[in-house]
Amino acid sequence: MSLLAPGARLVDATSGEVLAGPELRAAVEKISAELSALPAGVLFARTSVDVQSVLRYVAAFESGRAVALLDAGQDRDVLLGLVERFRPAAVLGAEGEPPAGYTAEWVREDAAGVVPHPDLAVLLPTSGSTGNPKFVRLSRQAVLANAEAIAEVLGITADEVAPTSLPLHYSYGMSVLNSHLLRGATVVVEPTGVMGRAFWTAVDEHKITSLAGVPYHYEMLKRLRFDPAKYPSLRTITQAGGKLREDLVVEFNEKMLAVGGRMYVMYGQTEAAPRMATVPAEKLAEKIGSAGPALPGGAFSIRLEDGSETSDPDVVGEVLYRGPNVMMGYAESEAELSEPDVRGGLLETGDLGRLDADGYLFITGRLKRIGKVFGNRVNLDDLEQMLRGSGLDIGAAAAVPAGDKVVVWAENCAADTRKAAAKALSEKLHMHVSGFDVRDIDALPLLPSGKIDYRSLEGRA
Amino acid sequence: MDLQQRLRNTFVEALALGDDVDVENLKYRDIDEWDSVGHMALVAAIEDEFDVQFETEQVIDMSSFKVALDMIKDLGAE
Repeated sequence: MSLLAPGARLVDATSGEVLAGPELRAAVEKISAELSALPAGVLFARTSVDVQSVLRYVAAFESGRAVALLDAGQDRDVLLGLVERFRPAAVLGAEGEPPAGYTAEWVREDAAGVVPHPDLAVLLPTSGSTGNPKFVRLSRQAVLANAEAIAEVLGITADEVAPTSLPLHYSYGMSVLNSHLLRGATVVVEPTGVMGRAFWTAVDEHKITSLAGVPYHYEMLKRLRFDPAKYPSLRTITQAGGKLREDLVVEFNEKMLAVGGRMYVMYGQTEAAPRMATVPAEKLAEKIGSAGPALPGGAFSIRLEDGSETSDPDVVGEVLYRGPNVMMGYAESEAELSEPDVRGGLLETGDLGRLDADGYLFITGRLKRIGKVFGNRVNLDDLEQMLRGSGLDIGAAAAVPAGDKVVVWAENCAADTRKAAAKALSEKLHMHVSGFDVRDIDALPLLPSGKIDYRSLEGRA
Repeated sequence: MDLQQRLRNTFVEALALGDDVDVENLKYRDIDEWDSVGHMALVAAIEDEFDVQFETEQVIDMSSFKVALDMIKDLGAE
């Protein structure tokens, strides 16, 4: 099965250019031919929100070359570290001085390399991508199964027109692209985002029908006093990438219903390619706070501390998901690229939650210390480690999640140092500096065991 | 302090800009710091600093430092 259905169209909002039908197919095949000349190994693709990045991804997927999608704005040191560990056949879209062993075009000089497993199609950095990022290994079948399931529950038809409101290397952004291309719909490649005039011009000009956002996009839309009545074509909004405040779910759902539109609240993880659940739009008002029932072909259960599993309602435990879209596993180095599926369709999500009598999932917390920065998962222990290794004059520090941000409490920390710390985290993780709120504290609260009392800090953040 | 200088300071503070940034000639999305997330923080900071309230159209049209300066002048900021 191809990712690219016959009717699929790509519109470049910047130039107005449209690629469709045989032209789109030819553009993809031209890149595929170039890729086939590269040595064995995984491809790295540095992606921006532009047509070239989309074409490269589709070409790699269609020609069966495993491709890792990377943020084009990623820190050069992080990229070089990944190149060293995974020895990609080439780094597509790379700029600047290539590392040793690579040509000026960033193609590996050594023809020999680990051949990725034939099922492997896409590698995505674990969201968070702290200090030592690893890849989620997604099979071709998992990506296609998930795109198909999303298209089904969202009712995506060839008439839909979706903008790229999220980066392509982000699993939610990739899935918006996949589920639309698969149904022969249109994707408008628009780089400025909802805070720019050009985005809203594109909505009008290209009759955009849907908008995908993570919680901070909904904060922005609220700030913009978003009114769907002003955009007659825009009738579907989707939300994923973390739990949205319930008052905003209610507000946006009502806005959409008032104009005959619909809102979908969804739940997923990159490890599930990425979608696991979607609340049907017509059920949203009565299921506020829910992540929805499992997608077609998938199933949730709850694992208790004694290891037993249940799907009984109102039992809280770790959320397990089974489905055709679960990853093959992780890869931390080149050797693991050739490994087969080691997960058998089971994903231990690390989220805590419960099911209701209708099988709707409600997320209640996290097993591990994870925060979200503008929709991206960040391991908080790694983040503290990064601060210790930053060379800044920072003593004891503790990071806790706070909505769409992370609050870092640092003992007796001067304002300049706090500012520098936020900046350092922002640069290292390539996330906006306002996502890191570094605050001064006299002394970190401790538990009787001597460990940091994170719960009390969360209460204060 | 004059308006331009105060707006400059607000930009530097809200977007955590380094010393090497030519703030007066800055445009939206020229630099990583002024992306859509930064824009939201920036708009809020300008509203606070100058005690003004931007309309939706102004928020999405605020595409450069110069445009922002004209807007706060038009809103009667002092």
